[in-house]
Amino acid sequence: MRGRVISVVMGGAFAAFVTIAALSGRSVAQSPFGDPNAEPAPFNPQMAALMSMLIQPRHAKLGLAGKAENWPLAGYALKELKQGFVVAARAVPRWKGLPVPDLFDAAVTQPITLLDFAIKLRYRRQFDEAYESLTKGCNACHATTDHAFVVIKVPDASAFPDQEFEPKR
Amino acid sequence: MSSQLTGRGFAATLFEDRMKILIWHCGRIAGVVLAMTCSLSIAVRAGGAGFGDDDDNSEEEGPSYFGFVRDTGGATVPDAKVTVGIKNRGGVVTRTDALGTYKVPGFGKDVDPKDVEVACDKLGYKQLRVVRRSSPSTDPKIPIETECTLQRI
Repeated sequence: MRGRVISVVMGGAFAAFVTIAALSGRSVAQSPFGDPNAEPAPFNPQMAALMSMLIQPRHAKLGLAGKAENWPLAGYALKELKQGFVVAARAVPRWKGLPVPDLFDAAVTQPITLLDFAIKLRYRRQFDEAYESLTKGCNACHATTDHAFVVIKVPDASAFPDQEFEPKR
Repeated sequence: MSSQLTGRGFAATLFEDRMKILIWHCGRIAGVVLAMTCSLSIAVRAGGAGFGDDDDNSEEEGPSYFGFVRDTGGATVPDAKVTVGIKNRGGVVTRTDALGTYKVPGFGKDVDPKDVEVACDKLGYKQLRVVRRSSPSTDPKIPIETECTLQRI
C-alpha cells in the first residue's frame, strides 16, 4: 500500500513537472535569457534607458571635463552629448504623446551653443554658466514631462574612477 | 487479518491515512488554483479585470492640448498666459512652464477640436499668430499641438 502511495505521489510530481515545462513554452535545457540560436532582436531602448545610457553620463563627463578645464575632453563630451540627444529623439520621437525633438530643442539647444563657444574660447566662467543653464534645461524638460522628481545637478564628484579628467600637463 | 494491529501495521495505516489526507488536500488546492487561473485569464481576456489606472478617462475625453509659446526670434516664453477656449462655451486658462510649454487635458468627447481655440498673452507682448500643427497620427494620446507666437510691444 505504502509503495502504491509513493508511486502515485511520484507520478503526480512528474506530471506536474511535465505540465509546467510544457506551459512555460521552452525546453528544460533552454536558458531563461533566451535562445542562443535565435536571430538578434532589434534593440529598442525606451526613453529612460536612453537617458541613462546616452545623456546622463555624457552630461556628467562634460561637467567634470569643464571643471578640470580639460577643453579637448569637454569639446568631445559636448559633441557626444549632442549626438546622444539626436539619437534619443530619433529613437523615441514622441514620448507620452509629446514631441521629443521640440522638447530637446527648447531645453538644450541654446545652452549647448553657449557651451560650444565657452569651450572654444577656453572660458571657464562662461562654461560654468552655460553648464548650469543646460542642467536647468534638463530639469525643466523633466518637469514638462511629469518627471520633476528626476533632478539633474552639476556633478560634485566623478562616477568614473577609471577615467582621468585633468588635462595632460 | 487480525483487527489487532501490531506497532508496524499501525504505523503503516497511519502513514497511509496521512498520505490520503495529503493527496486530498493537494487535489483541492490544485483545483482552487486551476479555477482561479482560468477565471482570471478569462476575465483579463474579456477586458473585465484590467490592472490599468483607475484615473484613466481617455475613453471619455477628447484629445489633450499642448504647445509652445515663442517669441518672434523662436525662443520659448515661460510664464505666458494661455487660454484654451471652446467657441461660445468658455475655456481653461493656464501658464507656460519653464520650458515655454502648456498642457491642457482633453475636454469631453462632445467637444469638436475644431471649436477649440488657443490664445496667448504676456505683459509687454502681443499675440502675433497661432498655428495649429497637423499630425498624421490619429492616436488619441497624441495631443493637438498649437504654437502661439508673441511679439514684443
